[in-house]
Amino acid sequence: MATDVLSLTFSALADPTRRAILGRLSAGEASVKELARPFRISLPGISKHLKVLERAGLVARSRAAQWRPCRLRPAPLKQVSDWTEEYRQHWEGRFDRLGEYLAEIQRPGKKSPNPPKHGK
Amino acid sequence: MENSTPTTKEFALTRQFAAPRALVFQALTEADRLARWWGPKDFAMVSAKVDLRPGGLFHYQMLSPEGHVMWGRFAYREIVAPERIVFTNSFSDAAGGVTRAPFSPTWPLEVLNTLTLTEAAGLTTVTLRGGPVNATPEERRTFEGHFTSMQQGFGGTFDQLAAYLAKL
Repeated sequence: MATDVLSLTFSALADPTRRAILGRLSAGEASVKELARPFRISLPGISKHLKVLERAGLVARSRAAQWRPCRLRPAPLKQVSDWTEEYRQHWEGRFDRLGEYLAEIQRPGKKSPNPPKHGK
Repeated sequence: MENSTPTTKEFALTRQFAAPRALVFQALTEADRLARWWGPKDFAMVSAKVDLRPGGLFHYQMLSPEGHVMWGRFAYREIVAPERIVFTNSFSDAAGGVTRAPFSPTWPLEVLNTLTLTEAAGLTTVTLRGGPVNATPEERRTFEGHFTSMQQGFGGTFDQLAAYLAKL
């Protein structure tokens, strides 16, 4: 089941409207009405997207003001970008070693089980 | 101090190798070759077994420099020699099960990786695409959408947000 932060966040980010909402909120708080303006979507439609974002912990809605402004909560997004960076580094390291290994087994004088004579 | 601005490259990593594609494919799929390079630097590969077919496993045991035993596995989903390998990668145990990463409770249980190999002028280009994945086909489909959305997202309307995150 997709209950870990990363999966929930990825799932919430899968929709372009939701990403646009987050993009808008990174510039500051906004009401549902303000968020709906750039989209051809009804207010209930926007509210639905907001619920998904709230569930993923990406958006918080204030109860203080009557217009209940929406606010970005960046921590889960930060986790996704951190994870991505970690994953990238992990594979960069693997590819470094693979490159070294391939160079080593193809070095002249070494017995190669698969002579790489390609002739161009 | 590398990328202050996350780019669309995050989920696609490309590397060129000065070796024919057939040999690179062997290095990626044969147990005794994998044992020579797979794993973090300074880790010793203790055992490695490969069953190269959809549903099969590459199951390996490594020893950290501090002497900790670590198991890992690839579970193959698709093999098209010598062009493509699709597999999930996770931590494992002696029995070959899937286990949590020892270093992080939030690291995804399994990571879906797609390696694509192309050859031109004696050079082989390997492209990796990947990300966290869940077990059911439905979640898998959703996730495949995520790559694209993450890439489009961070590349397009998400720029502002990405810049914001980079400052945190």
